[in-house]
Order: sequence, then structure tokens, then C-alpha cells
Amino acid sequence: MRISKGALLVVIAFTAPLIVELRTVLAWVNVELTVLESAVLGIGLIGVLLVWALWPQSQNNATESAETE
Amino acid sequence: MTNTYIESFPAEAKVVRAAFYSSFLALAIGGLFGIVQTLHRTGYYRFMDSADYYTVLTAHGVLLAITFTIFFLVGVFTWAVTTSLDRPVEDIRFTWVWYGLMVVGTVLTAIPIFAGFTDSEMSASVLFTFYAPLQGHPLFYFGLVLFVVGTWLAGADWFRSWWAWKQEHPDERIPLPTFMVLTTTLMWYIATLGVAAAILLFLLPWSLGLVESVNPLLTRTLFWFFGHPVVYFWLMPAYMMWYIMLPKISGGKLFSDPLARVVFVLFLILSVPTGIHHQYLDPGIAEGFKFIAMTNTMFLLLPSLLTAFTVVASMEHGARQRGGTGYLGWLKALPWRDPVFAGMALAGLMFAAAGFSGMINAGMNINYLVHNTFWVVGHFHLTVGTAVALTFMAVTYWFLPQVTGKELWSRSVALGQVVLWFVGMTFMSNAMHRGGLLGIPRRTAEPQYEGFEFEAAVGSVGELDAQIALGGALLTLSLVLFFANVIGTALNSRSDDLPANEYADTLSGPSDAPLVLDNLKLWTAIAIVLVIFAYSFPLLSIIERGGLFGPELTELPVSIGPGLEYLSTTTVSTVTTAGETAIAIIAGVGS
Amino acid sequence: MSQTADEKARSETPEHDREIGHDEFDPIGTLTLIGIYFLILVFLWFFMYFVEFLGNDPTVVGGTLVFAATGERLR
Repeated sequence: MRISKGALLVVIAFTAPLIVELRTVLAWVNVELTVLESAVLGIGLIGVLLVWALWPQSQNNATESAETE
Repeated sequence: MTNTYIESFPAEAKVVRAAFYSSFLALAIGGLFGIVQTLHRTGYYRFMDSADYYTVLTAHGVLLAITFTIFFLVGVFTWAVTTSLDRPVEDIRFTWVWYGLMVVGTVLTAIPIFAGFTDSEMSASVLFTFYAPLQGHPLFYFGLVLFVVGTWLAGADWFRSWWAWKQEHPDERIPLPTFMVLTTTLMWYIATLGVAAAILLFLLPWSLGLVESVNPLLTRTLFWFFGHPVVYFWLMPAYMMWYIMLPKISGGKLFSDPLARVVFVLFLILSVPTGIHHQYLDPGIAEGFKFIAMTNTMFLLLPSLLTAFTVVASMEHGARQRGGTGYLGWLKALPWRDPVFAGMALAGLMFAAAGFSGMINAGMNINYLVHNTFWVVGHFHLTVGTAVALTFMAVTYWFLPQVTGKELWSRSVALGQVVLWFVGMTFMSNAMHRGGLLGIPRRTAEPQYEGFEFEAAVGSVGELDAQIALGGALLTLSLVLFFANVIGTALNSRSDDLPANEYADTLSGPSDAPLVLDNLKLWTAIAIVLVIFAYSFPLLSIIERGGLFGPELTELPVSIGPGLEYLSTTTVSTVTTAGETAIAIIAGVGS
Repeated sequence: MSQTADEKARSETPEHDREIGHDEFDPIGTLTLIGIYFLILVFLWFFMYFVEFLGNDPTVVGGTLVFAATGERLR
């Protein structure tokens, strides 16, 4: 894990305002998203975050993080 | 052998615990009414008559904005004074007396509010902002008076502790937590003079039938004399927690004790002479007076921005001591796993967002565009509903073990709870702000109108409603988790392995603070002078124009039976030109 | 350091790496965060003009500003 579970949870929570207002921001540049599309986008974003956080780090860092935990 | 609060001060711990449990009970009932309103307003689920919406709204406002916050405050302040002076209260019986008075006051206030749900004559659906001509049952006002007197005595209790301590430590600086308690209490004494005058001189006699009428603008102005500083009364315990708990939990020290003192002094002198900024749309107050109130309000941004700096710097100190590096990388080193920390940090973040919507509200001309809209509701759900409430819930996870001697039931549930509150409030409050920009009104059971639709530039009102309902549901779930944790902790057995009762050290201590900061008399005098500057002329001109007891005004009893009766009788007998104009406008719109 | 071992053990949590005093502490991260917040506020303040004034009917201030900026009078 790259960040602690608690930090991951908080980072995921932070995506909520971004996802909610992404549509509004995009509408200013004439990209109209439906609710479904922005929901899919949001889930995708959270998915990417999860993959980033859970992806095993390179050997060097992994031992380091194991020590600190 | 641990060193918890309950072991050092067993008798005080009981009072603090009782105050916390009282506030949680208010939170539970008020929160339940919150979801009822959310579903009713958005039209998702309406099981009650829309007339009862206003009774629910009154209970939600009074129980959460007054009862929940202030009971929690007296608990925290009693803890702060006893802990930082390291001495028990002077007389525990007196402490129980003020707590009891607050309880009795709350019950007396709640009776007429809840009677609004029944068929009885008694009711007080006058909302948290109990303006005339809405008239509540006398018991409502009487209960509020007792409650406020209870808080006055609580303040006297804290001052008494400080005086006794000062006799024994004549040359020492006031410890920071006690300093915060004392300045906040002084601010509260000045502020509550307004509401005391509004109730005792006007609303209560009027409700009892001793006087014929009141001057609505006068009572409104007196209400907001109290109504703005009360928001700082909610906020100050949250600020105190950010200053003295958050640095410790982050693993560091408070960046600056002097700066913290400056902030609390600024709140003491600037909180009260700003109330008129809630009345930008009130006719009868000259623009110039409103401008003065706006200027004072803008000055209030200063202590809040000072707080943002000091609190973030203290967190960064903690993060760097824990090995954090970089410009933003240090954020990763913060203890996000700890619900006490995560909750307070998220609350602080939401408060930063509320800072912006607050600036919009504070600006006189911009205020006109959002006044009385849903925007304002979104704003105060970020401030009192998150910055204050979420901070209180987060520190509860630290306080409960201190005052019960029992380990917290579940830290994971606690973390989930605070994060869920953040997400739920993001949905609900953001949609409320957006709705306000479209002109959707507040304090309205059914903001859906035939033949008229609010136009959204992006999305639709239906979507906003869905976000509000979703947010409300998440907040309710968060509350359920909170209470599960409180009850689970109360049912735990006593533990010997609890953290000690300590608060944060400082990097720059009280010896760096100029002595004048501790001169409470000076600051109180300045605060009073500012209040006189800001209020004497507006009040005089209001009285001059409308009279002390107002032009003739027929009260509007707020229960539906008498209300309808009132409408049918008074439209005939006291039709004024204003009424005729209003009818003409309605007829014009209708045709 | 005159701290006793006992005191040290008490004041340091397990994650506590090092002790940073008043003079060594440089709150550059705070400056960064507050700076970002300030930029957001400035952006929102400009954005507010479009949402609240141009999105609504003209007001005293809005009309004057638009006139000053574009030379066109709002109707």
C-alpha cells in the first residue's frame, strides 16, 4: 500500500465534491455530461485511486514501508 | 493506573458527561427531524401535513443550534477550566444547579414546540429565529430565559474558578484554554443582553397579553444582536479544540499561543457589533448602519484567517515531527487513521469552503441575491452543521474515554462516521448552495410551484433535490453510527489503558504574548464601546420611527386552527394598504 | 537535551520521528496550502461575478461594472 487505509478513505471522500461539480465545470467548456456519465466517471476515478494505492510498490520501497508500518 | 479526566476530577467528569449526553439527545432528535425535512422539502417522502413542516423546522433549529451546541460547549468549557487550572470547580453543587437550570429550560422550551404536533392550543412553531409577528406560547420564551440564565451561571462558575486560581498564582499567565473560555463567556454575556431584552421586555409580555403589540423591527434587531454572536459561541469550542487538541493529535505543538489569544480577543470585540448584517434586506434600517455592520463583519475574517494559518502550521509541525517532507507531501504523514484527527481536519476543510459562502453573505450587494434563499441554509450547514458539529463528534471520540473511563467502542466505525458526514454534507450543502443561486427559497415546506420552474444552467432542480436527499440520508446514517459508538462505549467496561488527560504544548508559549492580551477588562470595554457605536443609532431610529411597542400589530399565533381564524377575521378588519398592495400583486400574478 | 528518558518516552508517540523546535520549524507547507486556498478564493470571487450578476437581472453595481468593462448598457 502506498498510503495508509485511513488516508485512502479520506482521499476517496475528497473525490465526492470533485465528481459532483465536474459536470458544472465541464458545461462551461461545452461538454455536457449526463448524471449517469458523471457517475461512471466518478466510479472510474475511485477505481484508479484504488489501483494506485493498492498496487505493490517496487521492492526497495516495499521493505521501507513494511518497516514503518 | 492511567491519568484520565475521570480519575483526576471524578465529580466534574459526571457533570461533563451529563452535559455531553444531554447534547447528544438533542442531536438525535434534531437529526431525525433533519431527515424528515429533507425528504419533505424535496418531495421524496411526505408523510406529514406541510403545516407541520414548520414545527419540525423549529424543533430542528432550536434543538441543534441551541441545545446540542451549547450543552456540548458547557461540557468542553468545564473540562477546559478544570484541566488547565488543575483545580476542581469551587462548588460542585453550584455546577449542578446551572446544569439543572439548562435542562429545565430546554424541557420548558420543548413542550410548546412539540405541542405543535398535537391538536392543543399550545404551540411555538416560531422557528429558531423567533421573530414577531410569529408568536409562541409563553412557556417557549420562559424556557429560553431559564436556559440562558443557566449558561450565565455556568460562566460565573468558570470565572469563579479563575479568580480563586489567581489568588494562588498572582504572577502567572492565564492558561490558554481558560483564557479562551473567559473571552468567549464575556462575549456571550454581551451578546445575550440582546435576546434577554427582546424576550423579557417585549416578546414574553406580548405573548402573555400584558402588552398589546411589539415593534417587529426592534425585536428582530435585538434578536440578531444575539443571533450573530451565538454562531461564534458555537464556533469557539470548536476553535478551542482545533487549537489545543488538533496539534497534539497531529503529533506536534501549537504553533503560537500569543496568536491564539489575539484571535479570541478579536472575537470578543468583533462578534457582537455585526448582527445587522443579517438584516441587509430589512426596510427601516438605513444603508449606512448596514455598511458599518458589513465593515465589522469583514474584519471578522481576520481572526478566522489567523486561525487557518495557526492551526495548519500546528498540524504541519506534527506532520514534520512524524517524518513528513515536501511542500504538500507532509499531509501524508498526518494520522488520518485517527477519527479524532480526520474528523477535525475534514471539519476545518469544510469551514474553509464556508468561508467563501460567508463572504458572499457578508457583502451587502451580493447578499441581496442570496438573501432568504436555500444558499444560506447551505452556508450554515457547513459552519454549524459541519465545522462545529463534526468537530464536536470527532472530539467526542477523545472525550468519551476521558469522562467515562471506558475505551471507545470502535475506532473504525468512528472513522467511517466522520468521513460519511463529510461526504453527506458535500452532497447536501453543495446542492443547497446551487439551489439558492437559482432562487429556491428557504423555510418553505413545498418549494415546488405550479406554472413556474426554477431554471438551472447546468443539471436540473430534480438533480439538486436528489443530491440533497442523498446527502441527508448519508448524514442520517452517519448519525446512527455515531450513536452506536456512544452507546457501545457507555456499555463497555472500565479500562486501565487510556490516554492521559492532556492538551497540546506550544512552540511559542504564553511568555511571548504581550501582557495586555490578558487584560480582560480592557477588551470587554472596547467590545462594549464598539457595540454602542454599531447599535445605539440604529436602535434609536427604529424606536423613533416605530415606537417601543410598535405600530398596531396583530399577533399571528402559529398553529393552524387559530392561524386560519386569524386570516379570515383580520383580512376583513385590519386590511392595510400594504395588505391591499399584496393582494393586488397576488391577483396580478394569478391573472 | 536535558529531557530525561522517561519524559521522552511519554511525549513521543510510536510514529514520532524527530523533535522540531521553534527555530528549526519552517512552515512552508502551511504557506503552500494557504496560498492554494487564497488562489481558490480569488478565482471564486471572479467566478461569483458571472454567476451572481451576469446570471441575474442588472443591479446598481452590476450594471455599472458591465458598462465600465464593455461600454454596453444592460437592459
